[in-house]
Amino acid sequence: MKSSSSRGRHPQPTFLMRIGAVFFRHFRVYSRNLLSNGLPPFLEPLIMLVGIGLGLGAYITKMNGVPYIKFLASGLLVSTAMFTAAFECSFGTFIRLEFDKVYDGMLTAPITVNNLLVGEMLWAGAKGFFFTFAVMVIVVLAGILPIGVVYPVPVIGFLTGVMFAAFSLFITSFVQTINHFNFYFSGFISPMFFFSGVFFPLTNLPGWVRPIAEALPLTHVVRLSRGICLSEADPQLLFDLVYVLLFTLGFGAIAIRRLKRRLID
Amino acid sequence: MPPRSVLPVPARFEKCFPRILACPAISGYVFSMPQETVISARHVFKTYGQLKAVNDLEFTVNRSTCCGFLGPNGAGKSTMMKMLYAKASPDKNPATVIDVFGHDPRRHELRIKSMSGVAPQDDNLDEELSVIQNLRVFGRLYGIPRGLTDDRIEELLEFMELSSKKPARIRELSGGMRRRLIIARALMNNPELLILDEPTTGLDPQVRQLIWDKLRGLKNDGVTILLTTHYMEEAFQIADEVIIMDHGRKIMEGNPHTLLETQMEAHVLEVLNKQAAVEIDGALRDIVRREEAAERVLYYSHEHSALEQMAEGMRHGEYYLRRTTLEDLFLRATGRNLHEE
Repeated sequence: MKSSSSRGRHPQPTFLMRIGAVFFRHFRVYSRNLLSNGLPPFLEPLIMLVGIGLGLGAYITKMNGVPYIKFLASGLLVSTAMFTAAFECSFGTFIRLEFDKVYDGMLTAPITVNNLLVGEMLWAGAKGFFFTFAVMVIVVLAGILPIGVVYPVPVIGFLTGVMFAAFSLFITSFVQTINHFNFYFSGFISPMFFFSGVFFPLTNLPGWVRPIAEALPLTHVVRLSRGICLSEADPQLLFDLVYVLLFTLGFGAIAIRRLKRRLID
Repeated sequence: MPPRSVLPVPARFEKCFPRILACPAISGYVFSMPQETVISARHVFKTYGQLKAVNDLEFTVNRSTCCGFLGPNGAGKSTMMKMLYAKASPDKNPATVIDVFGHDPRRHELRIKSMSGVAPQDDNLDEELSVIQNLRVFGRLYGIPRGLTDDRIEELLEFMELSSKKPARIRELSGGMRRRLIIARALMNNPELLILDEPTTGLDPQVRQLIWDKLRGLKNDGVTILLTTHYMEEAFQIADEVIIMDHGRKIMEGNPHTLLETQMEAHVLEVLNKQAAVEIDGALRDIVRREEAAERVLYYSHEHSALEQMAEGMRHGEYYLRRTTLEDLFLRATGRNLHEE
């Protein structure tokens, strides 16, 4: 066979190239159904804002002194990043791990389990960025928040994506059958959606619920997003940021360790 | 193995044209190149719970040869392959040595994988991508420059006779096409070493022949090939050396032709039903050896005529007189068939 590249020279791909290859794979899959994958991120927040914002907003005009629609929008900006990352790194990862064996295939190429999973988390982060960006477009076009204020918020979407990717991979490392994810979503993700300050401030919750709500990861990214959207520079936001980073690093590291045992015999 | 010539290799030539010398046809016939060991393993152990999948395995593989690991399912062949590219880790043991082209997979996983191609036993093509996209992802993983990737893909699809399937979805491919695509994927980086885990299991004879032809071509091109199989035919067709394994241990090794010549009788009379088996008559007792395997009785001998004589009294269709194969050798060494679990 004639060869366009000569045998004997096999440069080892750099770390960025390896992560890039994981991104490339996911981007190909994602962009294959551009319409069905690309439209919902814009439609969902629209429906949410119209449905809840207009309906409920007629009764609640102000929340903590902020117009309800603004309050809600600043929470939805990041909750959508949470959902996409959680799905990607639970059902998505599990299918690639156990059903299609895509990871086993990829691991025959020069990439380590570590690189592969870091790539998964960063990809989920990129999706989080995009989903938050989509909500931002709607929120700005609807005149709810000005672009000059909300433009940095997709970065929080990225952090949200990586954080929930890390946690979802951690969950996935325990899961033996795909149905177990139902517990994760109905038992953890959905309740968190309602008790993390997206729809109402945590200050109104009963005293015993508050520490629980404070421990939830979504709470902290909602606070960061709201801080940006409402231009409130609270020093507590620094604590939220530290929480997000530690949570991500901690669960990410455990997830990689545990999944490595499943991928390497 | 090509015959050794007596001409020494001029040092300057070796320095200037290492690729030419790596080709066995040239190095073997023109110059007397010592065979270069590129893979060596010593005292390799792998335990899964109670099961000793690989038990003190030791072997070496020379450059540009094909080494076949032959054995029944569960012999530890796949596990050994996985340990070479760090998909499995050997048991911790200070005596264990694994060297793949000068690198230890436990420390230089990426180095080894950069120069190798692996076609695993499981079908792990990316169902969410098309044929060409599957290969493009690997182009990226190997760090092949973007401009070269598509040329390389064209070349490989043609080589594996898959050109018409370029835009196809994976689920549109037959089993044989999937296997060929997995091999094409393993060749993306023009590897020095090709690891094939049961490359033709479950394929029809034509596809199997096609794959064997391609592998022979790659070997002549200088690629070192490791393959596992439980088809003795496959080992016989393409392997220069076979390592026969059972229960994680090496029970025999050598050139398949030499092994048969030196270790086995030339012919076998296979009686398919125990009831039809006959006693060995006095005169034949010294030249015929009897062995039983499940329902079959096998009579081995170097003398074809002796076996013919024994078959005389049997009904047509009850026996089968043939040359011995590696399968018979395996049976003699273990008392079991290659295809038994």
